[in-house]
Amino acid sequence: MKTVLNEQSRRNFVAQVESMLHDKLSKCYQCGKCSAGCPVNFEMDYTPNQIIKMTELGMEDTVLNSKTIWLCVSCNTCSTRCPKGFEVTGIMDVLREIAERKGITSKTEKEVQMFHEVFLENVKSHGRIFELELVGKYKLKTKHLFRDMFLAPKMLEKGKLKMHGETISNLNQIAKIFKDFE
Amino acid sequence: MSRIGVFVCWCGSNIASTVDVEKVREEAAKIPGVVSAVDYKYMCSDPGQNSLRNVIKEKNLTGVVLAACSPHMHENTFRKAAVKEGLNPYFVEIANIREQVSWVHEDKERATAKAVDLMKMMVEKVKRDKPIEDVRVPLNKKALVIGGGISGIQAALDIANGGVEVILVEKEPSIGGRMIQLDETFPTLDCSSCIMTPKMVEANQHPNIKLYTYSEIEDVSGYIGNFKVKIKKKARSVVEKDCTGCGECWNACPMHKNVKSEFNLNLSERTAIYVPFPQAVPLVPVLDRSVCLHFKKGGKCQKCFDACGPKCIDFSMQDEIIEETVGAIVAATGYDLMETSMYGEYGYGKYKDVVSGLQFERLLSASGPTEGVIKRPSDGKTPQTIVFVQCVGSRDPEKGVPYCSKVCCMYTAKHAKLFAHKVHGSQSYVFYIDIRSTSKGYEEFVRGTMEQDGAVYLRGRVSKIYEDNGKLIVKGADTLSGNQVEIAADMVVLATGVIPKKGSDKLAQMLGISYDKYGFLTESHPKLRPAESSTAGIYLAGMAQGPRDIPESVVSGSAAASKILGLFSKSEYEVEGTISSVNEATCVACFYCQRVCAYNAITRKEIKDRSGNVVKVVASVNPGLCTGCGACVNACFSKSIDVKGFMDDQIYAEIKSLAV
Repeated sequence: MKTVLNEQSRRNFVAQVESMLHDKLSKCYQCGKCSAGCPVNFEMDYTPNQIIKMTELGMEDTVLNSKTIWLCVSCNTCSTRCPKGFEVTGIMDVLREIAERKGITSKTEKEVQMFHEVFLENVKSHGRIFELELVGKYKLKTKHLFRDMFLAPKMLEKGKLKMHGETISNLNQIAKIFKDFE
Repeated sequence: MSRIGVFVCWCGSNIASTVDVEKVREEAAKIPGVVSAVDYKYMCSDPGQNSLRNVIKEKNLTGVVLAACSPHMHENTFRKAAVKEGLNPYFVEIANIREQVSWVHEDKERATAKAVDLMKMMVEKVKRDKPIEDVRVPLNKKALVIGGGISGIQAALDIANGGVEVILVEKEPSIGGRMIQLDETFPTLDCSSCIMTPKMVEANQHPNIKLYTYSEIEDVSGYIGNFKVKIKKKARSVVEKDCTGCGECWNACPMHKNVKSEFNLNLSERTAIYVPFPQAVPLVPVLDRSVCLHFKKGGKCQKCFDACGPKCIDFSMQDEIIEETVGAIVAATGYDLMETSMYGEYGYGKYKDVVSGLQFERLLSASGPTEGVIKRPSDGKTPQTIVFVQCVGSRDPEKGVPYCSKVCCMYTAKHAKLFAHKVHGSQSYVFYIDIRSTSKGYEEFVRGTMEQDGAVYLRGRVSKIYEDNGKLIVKGADTLSGNQVEIAADMVVLATGVIPKKGSDKLAQMLGISYDKYGFLTESHPKLRPAESSTAGIYLAGMAQGPRDIPESVVSGSAAASKILGLFSKSEYEVEGTISSVNEATCVACFYCQRVCAYNAITRKEIKDRSGNVVKVVASVNPGLCTGCGACVNACFSKSIDVKGFMDDQIYAEIKSLAV
């Protein structure tokens, strides 16, 4: 792939990512330890360290349309092990959010992106997860109404699916987190 | 009758695991003349040496054979032990049964047989050994330092401060070398001239240092302790002792265009009579006769002469040959930057704004052509985006050299840093293959360039640079993300590789020291004798030996100096006695030996009768130069030369011992 570096747009993109990330991209020295330990690396189109480098080079389209940012499961193995203390998991979050704001729909990971949206909406309105609502909205969005239905009775039996969702008492603090990120 | 002692060393398991040391000892005991044969676990240990001494004393030995490790290791140890018991050191012989037997063979039986053979040969040799005295060479306690860069100056100062006279010879009009061309130095960013000029001034004013600038070495002969050196002091056309360095002459010179300044690497112009830079030491101009109108137009122009107050300009000055005798020499000839003309794809020389690392250094420097304001050569505008390309010529076995130039990673990081400091809001990109930043504070320095000063590093080489619409388009790769990258830059700086100073090979030939295939001077031993050349009395320092940075150059200068001060701390220099000697009765004076001697150690000697008539001419060996290599022995038709300790009868006896 050929990339023509445009100084201004590169700087703008780097500045946007860094301000949301509260970390500096130049910190990364490309050792690859994040990619070495990533449990979903085998499914990714770009390794986590490549995502960081490409972000630093201002390759906005490539990173925002990558599979990697949606396949990251935010397990934090990378950030925990990073020798430079770089927010590797954080950059995936930031790039997902930028993609969302730009209205970019992932071509390959549509359902992951839908789940991401429903999940965050759920957290925003309750301060925690209300599983039944999450499942319902996800199914409506993906239109896979009956998929995994046989798991429901078992989950009900074990108390994993509650009929009534709980909302935390200080919901305004959750609202503040969301607001800060914008 | 010989009374020989044989000592077989186990070297722990190093020898004993592959050689049956007891068998070797038993075989030794059977040889006529051997009065004692022992084996011991570590002969080099204190108890081992003591047992050697005890046997010499008790059995009144006339010779000792050690079947042990290479003589390179412990010959000296055992010789010293023998000397303590009154034996001549050359009555100790070593059969190398470690490096030449146990370490290279697996079959114990055959290895043991070989060890026995080697031991037998040495017994026959030692039986025929004659006492040899070491040769003493007188020392002229004066040193010559060739090259007035940082390592040469450091060597000269250290030697001079040790109370020894030094002659410092520099080819250029001023001392200072490459370091004085630099702006700031990594990783501390102290200004190069601020730390260099005090050393230059000290070297110039030191009572023990005689400084010859604008001078070259014309010829070197002789040997350690007694080198005869011819120095050519080129005609400066200015009388040094009268010149005040006021500058009237170069201000008056009409030739202020079209002559490029060598010091500023062609980025500015200079006059025909000039000092290379304002802090030059000595601050005495040089008149460049190849461009001076006085010399080109038959003496018409003499504006500098008219302007000169003390009238110290002398158009008739001639080159002068100065002869000096010194005891030791330091070769600190320094380096050049590689030409990059073989990289047509980078456009160096074609595009004015593609410059070398050293040129960028001059653009940064306050004494440089732009007075420290970064302006690009083409139109004088301040660049906003600079692309730095590392490893240009280095690590490129196809077009350049395979070695790493060592300093480019650091100076490029420094350039990017200084660029960020001087031009706010600017951006630099650095193409690199690896970043080598291994000394104290270096890694932190490079990371700082990236993290604090915002330089973007791309791992990959640049393929092509071309001009488009006033910009230099750099096509490279970022191998980390696997992308081709194209950057539009205002300026490109090539980190060109380091090569030995032009002409240093000729000087090496003159000095009789070796150099590698690139032309870097080679050390006597790369690890254990890094300051010594292959020739006794000649020492090495600085980049002449290979790429190194300023601290390492300073260290090497000091190392050479300490070696010389150590050498001069004795009244005479001792040379091993195993050198050639001529049988004057049989020598026919064909001087074939002289032709094969690599060390110029053979001279003509005239034998005279009582009334002073020459009755015979024979070859004679200079003990200061002879290394005992034996080339002359092979060449001698009349069998008149032998190397002491390796006489023909000894060699034949060794061979005969195998035949039995």
